[in-house]
Amino acid sequence: MKEIIAVIRMNKVGPTKKALVEAGVAGFTALKAIGRGKVVENIEIIADRKKQLLAKTNPEDPKAEQVATEFLDGRGLFPCRMFTILVHDEQVKTIVQAIIKVNKTEHKVGDGKIFILPLVDAVRVRTNEHGDAAI
Amino acid sequence: MIMVRAIVRPDKKDSVLQELSRAGFNAATVVDVVGRGKQNGIKFGDIVYDEIPKSLIMVVIEETEKDKILDVILRHAKVGENGSFGDGKIFISAIDEVYTVSSGLAGL
Repeated sequence: MKEIIAVIRMNKVGPTKKALVEAGVAGFTALKAIGRGKVVENIEIIADRKKQLLAKTNPEDPKAEQVATEFLDGRGLFPCRMFTILVHDEQVKTIVQAIIKVNKTEHKVGDGKIFILPLVDAVRVRTNEHGDAAI
Repeated sequence: MIMVRAIVRPDKKDSVLQELSRAGFNAATVVDVVGRGKQNGIKFGDIVYDEIPKSLIMVVIEETEKDKILDVILRHAKVGENGSFGDGKIFISAIDEVYTVSSGLAGL
């Protein structure tokens, strides 16, 4: 048994849910979270999107540039969705690939992370089943 | 790799995150949670508050950096010199694998 924790973009929740069902996941839990990732060191990656963001702001606002940069380069926190999925050992690979496939964007950064944790036991409350039978 | 889950006071969240970033741990996920600890919540006469708001900070790091991150969190999540009840807890769990969605590659 493994626990998969996936932190993804808010606007990818719908496609991710669909992909998980197609990959054969019985159930999952989703939480709203806020997060940040590694600091983007290569400014070229975010240059285009920064220009787009700044075009929407008030040019006289002195903080606009700083806020836009922090939002894009990973120093500021922004909303994301945290999925917790319990799976059997042999399912891990297909599910990780399914999540990656639907969540990948052309932005190169900020698409999220997937963590795989070992799980000691799981219990189904209704029937008191333990271990793999509970998933 | 290990996952560090720190439950801290909501008002200490910002300073902990800022210091983590300064120490080189920029990546983090934060969830607002409610819970109670060993004291079974706070009692005022007959009224018990056992759903106390806290912030859960999740950071995944290499195991070699464990002491460094614990030092940062322990120093900045405390209230007062010796700490107070309700300052929180830190849990550390093992991580088998990590994938980055943008690149599709394994690893932090």
